[in-house]
Amino acid sequence: MNTGKSAFSAAIANPLPDRSRQRLLHKLGIFCGFAAALWLAGAEAPTKLVTVAVSPMVISFMMVFGAFVSRWSLPALVRGTGDTFRDTRHVPHLVLWGVMAGCLWAVGNTLTIFAVRDIGLSLAFPLWNSNSLIGILWGTLLFKELHGSGWIRKAGVVGGAVVIFVGAILISAASTSEAGHGNALHGIAAAVGAGLMFGSMYIPYRKAYITGMNPLTFLTFFTFGEMTMMTVVALVFTGGVGPFWHELVANRAILLWPMLGGFMWVIGDLFQNYAAKYVGISRGIPLSNTNQLWGLLLGVLVFRELRGLTANVYAEVIGGSLMMALGALAISACGASEGEYASVKEAAQRETDLYGIDPEYVASRMEGREAGAREVRRTWVDWLMIAAATLLFVGLGTLAKAPHIEMQTGWLGLFAALLIAVLAACGFALWRVTKFT
Amino acid sequence: MHQSPANLKKPWWTVVFRDIQFWVPLIVLLIGLLLLRIAR
Repeated sequence: MNTGKSAFSAAIANPLPDRSRQRLLHKLGIFCGFAAALWLAGAEAPTKLVTVAVSPMVISFMMVFGAFVSRWSLPALVRGTGDTFRDTRHVPHLVLWGVMAGCLWAVGNTLTIFAVRDIGLSLAFPLWNSNSLIGILWGTLLFKELHGSGWIRKAGVVGGAVVIFVGAILISAASTSEAGHGNALHGIAAAVGAGLMFGSMYIPYRKAYITGMNPLTFLTFFTFGEMTMMTVVALVFTGGVGPFWHELVANRAILLWPMLGGFMWVIGDLFQNYAAKYVGISRGIPLSNTNQLWGLLLGVLVFRELRGLTANVYAEVIGGSLMMALGALAISACGASEGEYASVKEAAQRETDLYGIDPEYVASRMEGREAGAREVRRTWVDWLMIAAATLLFVGLGTLAKAPHIEMQTGWLGLFAALLIAVLAACGFALWRVTKFT
Repeated sequence: MHQSPANLKKPWWTVVFRDIQFWVPLIVLLIGLLLLRIAR
């Protein structure tokens, strides 16, 4: 006997009891969006330590490898691997979307490399940065996001995302001057394609979270697609296993830095996924895309970039930064209306009906609760994975050589302290409110 | 596990192909692979 419809109908008909919970989750999602932006920007720092000429495929591969290792060990540390598989049993079809999202990311990332090569970063970046606008489009079309909200809220979210996008273009134009050296048409196609890949990657994200899947579970399967696709792409573009291995060995002294970047990126990505779960992709993705603002601050304060430029360029940087901050403020100020929540629940109802998912699971997970309290248990397999990941980082650390690069250690210390403070605060908030569900 | 009547006996891999949210990212991925080939 089906109870799915009635359970959901009851939830839609009685929205008042959980209204305060919804507001709390909304605030948590916004906080996760900002934390994601900071950590995604922080992930750029280790890669700045690669000062020698290395194939972008090696850097990209090592970042993905670092992310792969971290994405298996971090969930093992937080909730135990057993929890990942328990979660999957409720929604096995989402494994397919997790793998697909990973493939989309790997293809998008490789396209950015070709775009930068052909048309330069200043032209390529704004094109692929359109991904958050594509994300909003998919969110609205496929998941009924922003449906049922008033035009002021719609204008706030879409306008905020557009303002962030324009701000990003200004910063990008000011902070990069390198021109491309290739086929312009191919470069533009690659950059637009990368934006399409990243923007469409949010379809699987939302698909998973509309049914309440745990981001830790989703990202575990994401890495399979990401790692497999990246390995295939790296092997094809470097000429096979032999030449690629040779490149890795030849550059062993710098392999730690992109791998460390991958680790930090996983933390940022986890926050981005929690944001997508609790405030949707229309709000979560533009917020986490403000990472460029933090990346700029990191570059200027720690690595002393953008020195000795003209007043016009500084005006562009300051103007772009202000626009990004204002856009983020506009989005975070737009709470979700009752109609919007009802619309999201309708989208979740569709999933429940189509895939025959337990409505109790969906309803409780959407509210950041566990259906049937369960104690987190870690097995020896979890500890083995954590130990192996740690050893891998330590091993590459012994091979690594610190580059001679001018850094402002005071600012670096402050930035690191901010990262840790935000990780602790947001991690604590997620644990307190949702127990990382 | 609970199953709604409409899909009570249908395994998820048969339902997937009727889901537009499956086809859209898949087609985008194929376009991406094609672009990779062109941009290379």
